[in-house]
Amino acid sequence: MSKKTSTRAEQFKNLVNGSITVPERQVDLLVVGALAALAIAMPTIAGVLMGYSGVASNVLIWMLFAVAFNLLLGYTGLLSFGHAMFLGGAMYVVAIVMNQLGPVMIVLAIPLALALAGLVAYGIARLIVEKGEIYFALLTIAFGEVVWYIANSDPGGLTGGDDGIASGLLPPLVESYRGQLSVYLGSFAVDIYWPVAAVFVVATYLLFRIVRSPFGRTLLTIRENEQLARSIGVNTRRYKIHTFVISAVFSALAGVLLVIVNQNVATSYLFWETSGEVVMMTIVGGMSSFAGPIFGAFLWYLGAEFLSGWQAIGGLRHYWQFGFGLLFVAIILIDPRNGGWGALKNSVRWAVNKYFGGN
Amino acid sequence: MASTTLAGKRWTERTVATITGMNTVWKVMYLLLGLWILLTAAVSPGLFATQFVSGLVYGMILVMIALGLSLILGLMGVINFAHGAFFMFGGYVAFAVVAQLGLPFSVALIVAPITVGLLGVVIERFLLRRLYGTEPINGLLLTFGIALMLEEAVRYTWGSAPLGYSADVFENPVPLLVTNVAGIRIFTTIVGILSVITIYLLIVRTDFGLSIRAGVQDPEMTELVGENLPVKFTLLFFIGSALAGLAGVLRGAETGIDPGMGSLFIILVFVVIVVGGMGSFFGSVVGGLLIGTAMFVAPTMLNALATTTGLPWLYLPGARRVVPFVVMIVVLLARPRGLFGEEGFLE
Repeated sequence: MSKKTSTRAEQFKNLVNGSITVPERQVDLLVVGALAALAIAMPTIAGVLMGYSGVASNVLIWMLFAVAFNLLLGYTGLLSFGHAMFLGGAMYVVAIVMNQLGPVMIVLAIPLALALAGLVAYGIARLIVEKGEIYFALLTIAFGEVVWYIANSDPGGLTGGDDGIASGLLPPLVESYRGQLSVYLGSFAVDIYWPVAAVFVVATYLLFRIVRSPFGRTLLTIRENEQLARSIGVNTRRYKIHTFVISAVFSALAGVLLVIVNQNVATSYLFWETSGEVVMMTIVGGMSSFAGPIFGAFLWYLGAEFLSGWQAIGGLRHYWQFGFGLLFVAIILIDPRNGGWGALKNSVRWAVNKYFGGN
Repeated sequence: MASTTLAGKRWTERTVATITGMNTVWKVMYLLLGLWILLTAAVSPGLFATQFVSGLVYGMILVMIALGLSLILGLMGVINFAHGAFFMFGGYVAFAVVAQLGLPFSVALIVAPITVGLLGVVIERFLLRRLYGTEPINGLLLTFGIALMLEEAVRYTWGSAPLGYSADVFENPVPLLVTNVAGIRIFTTIVGILSVITIYLLIVRTDFGLSIRAGVQDPEMTELVGENLPVKFTLLFFIGSALAGLAGVLRGAETGIDPGMGSLFIILVFVVIVVGGMGSFFGSVVGGLLIGTAMFVAPTMLNALATTTGLPWLYLPGARRVVPFVVMIVVLLARPRGLFGEEGFLE
C-alpha cells in the first residue's frame, strides 16, 4: 500500500534521509560508480578550481592515503600520528631499489615496499597497540621520527639525506615529456594519471569492502565499546594489529603511486607534519564516514592550490594553513566525528526535506 | 598524579630495591655501560665534559617544557600539543622585547613567560575547557590545530628565517674545571633547577597543590567541599605555559629562534614523558636530563669506542638525533609504563 502511494519525490526524500535500506549490490555499484566518476572528473575539477590539472593525481593519491588512515582513526578509534612513515617509507623503498638496481626493478620494489610497510606496522602494532589513545598517538609520532631521522642521516648514501632522491625514478614504459609523464604501450600512449586513477578506484573500493565486511563491522564494535567487544569474544588486540597492518599497506600503496607520479622523494614526506596533514584532512572531512577523508583531502588541496594562488587576499595567501587550522579547530569544537562531510550531508538533507515539504 | 609518586623517600627506597633485585644480565649491562662512560671520560676528558654540560643544559630545557606538559597531562588528562608552540612563542616574544623594542634581557625574562602564560589561559578557558569530559583524543587534536595556527601566525609576523637576540651579561663564558661554559648555559641550568624545586613545592607543600591533587583523585567531592577547581586548573595551565615560555626565552638566547623549533622540541618532550612515565613529576625531570645528556654524550662515547677499538664505522654520524628514540624503545621494552610511571595511567 505504502509503496504504491509513495511518489517519486517521497522515495527520493526517504533515500536522502536514509530511511530506505539499499541492497548491498546496489551500494557497491554506487560506490564504484562514484569513485570512477570522481577519478574521471578530477582533472577537470583540478583544472578549474586549483589552476592546473597536473595536481589531480596527487589529489587522488592523498584521498587514498586519507581513507587508509581513517581505517584506524574513524573505524577503530586509534589515532596514529606517524602514518607518514608508511607513505614516505614506501616512497623511499621504491626510490632506493630503483636507484641501486635499475628502474626495471620497480616490479620488485613495489611488492617489497608493501611487504615492508606491513611488517614494520606489525612489529610496531605488537608493541604499542594496547596502549591508551594518547599514549598510542605519542608512540606513533616517536616511531615515525625514528624513520625520519634514519632517512635524514643518509645511511650508506642510500637515501640522499636532506635532498632526498630525485633522479633515476622513471619506470620502464613511462616517458617524461616536458614534465608530463605518459605510459607507452607500443605506439599507444596514455597519461600517467589514468593508471593512477585506476589504482585509486580499485584500492579505495577494496577499502570500502573491508569496511563493510564482518571484519569492518567488528572494528566499529571495538570503537564504540571495547569492553563489550571483548566480552562477546572479540580478540580486540588482534583486530587492532590487523587493522594497523592493513592501513599501513594501503598507505604504502599511496606512497608507491606518489613517488612514481612526483618523480622524487624527500625527507619531508616522512616528517611528522605529513602525518599531521593526513590527520587534519581526515578530521576536517569527517572521520565517521567513508567519504569524509576523501572530501577532506579535496578541501586540503583546494586550500593549498586555490587559496595560495588567490591574489585578492595579498600576502595572506601564503599562510592558508592558518585558515585550515582554524577550520580544524572549529570542527574539533563543534562536531569532531562528522566533520565537513557530515555537515554537507545534513545540509543536503535539510534542503531536500525543505523542498519536498512534509515532516 | 598520586602523592606517592611525589614522595622522595619512597622513590629512593624503590631505587635501592630495584638495584638489589636486578638480575645478573642487567647488572652486567649497567657495569659495561659505566665502564664505557669511564673510558670515554679517560680518552677525551675535555670533550666529554663539554658534551656533558651541553647535554645537561639541553636536558634542563627539556625538563622545563616537560614539567608543564606533565602537570597538565597528569592533572587534566590533556596532552597539550601546543606546548611546543608556546615554547617557540616565548622565544619570539623575547626577540620582540630585546631586539625590536631594545629593552634589556631581564625584562624579556619576565614579560615573555607572562605573555605565553596568558595565551595559555585564553586557550584553556575558551577552547580546551569545552572538551573536558569528551574523548581524550579531542584535546590532543585541538591543541595540534592550535600549534599549527600559532606557528603560521609567528611565520606571518616574524618570517621563517632564524633570528637571534643578545642575552646581555650572560653571554660571557664562565671557566668550569676542564672547560669553558657560556654564561647563559649556567643561567639556564640554575633557572631549570629553581623551577623544578618551585613546582615540586607548589604541588606538595601548598594548599593550592593539595586541592589540585584532590581534584585529580575525585573532582566531584573536591568541588563539594568548596574548591573552585576550574579556576585552579586554569592557574595551573598558566604556570605550565609560562614555564614553556621561559624555556623558550633561555633556549632562544643560547642558540637563536626559528618557527620550527617548537615542533622539534615537542616531539622530544613527548619522548621524555614516555620514558619518564606518563604523568609522573620525577619521571619528567629524570627523563629530561637522561635524554638531554644521552643525546650529547652518546656520540662522544661512540667516538671514543671507535678510536680505542680502531673500528671507524662505529662512529655513526647521525646518532645524536636517534638516541632519544632508542632510549625510548629500550625503556618501553623493559618497562612499558616508563621509569616512574604509574601502572595503568592513561592506558
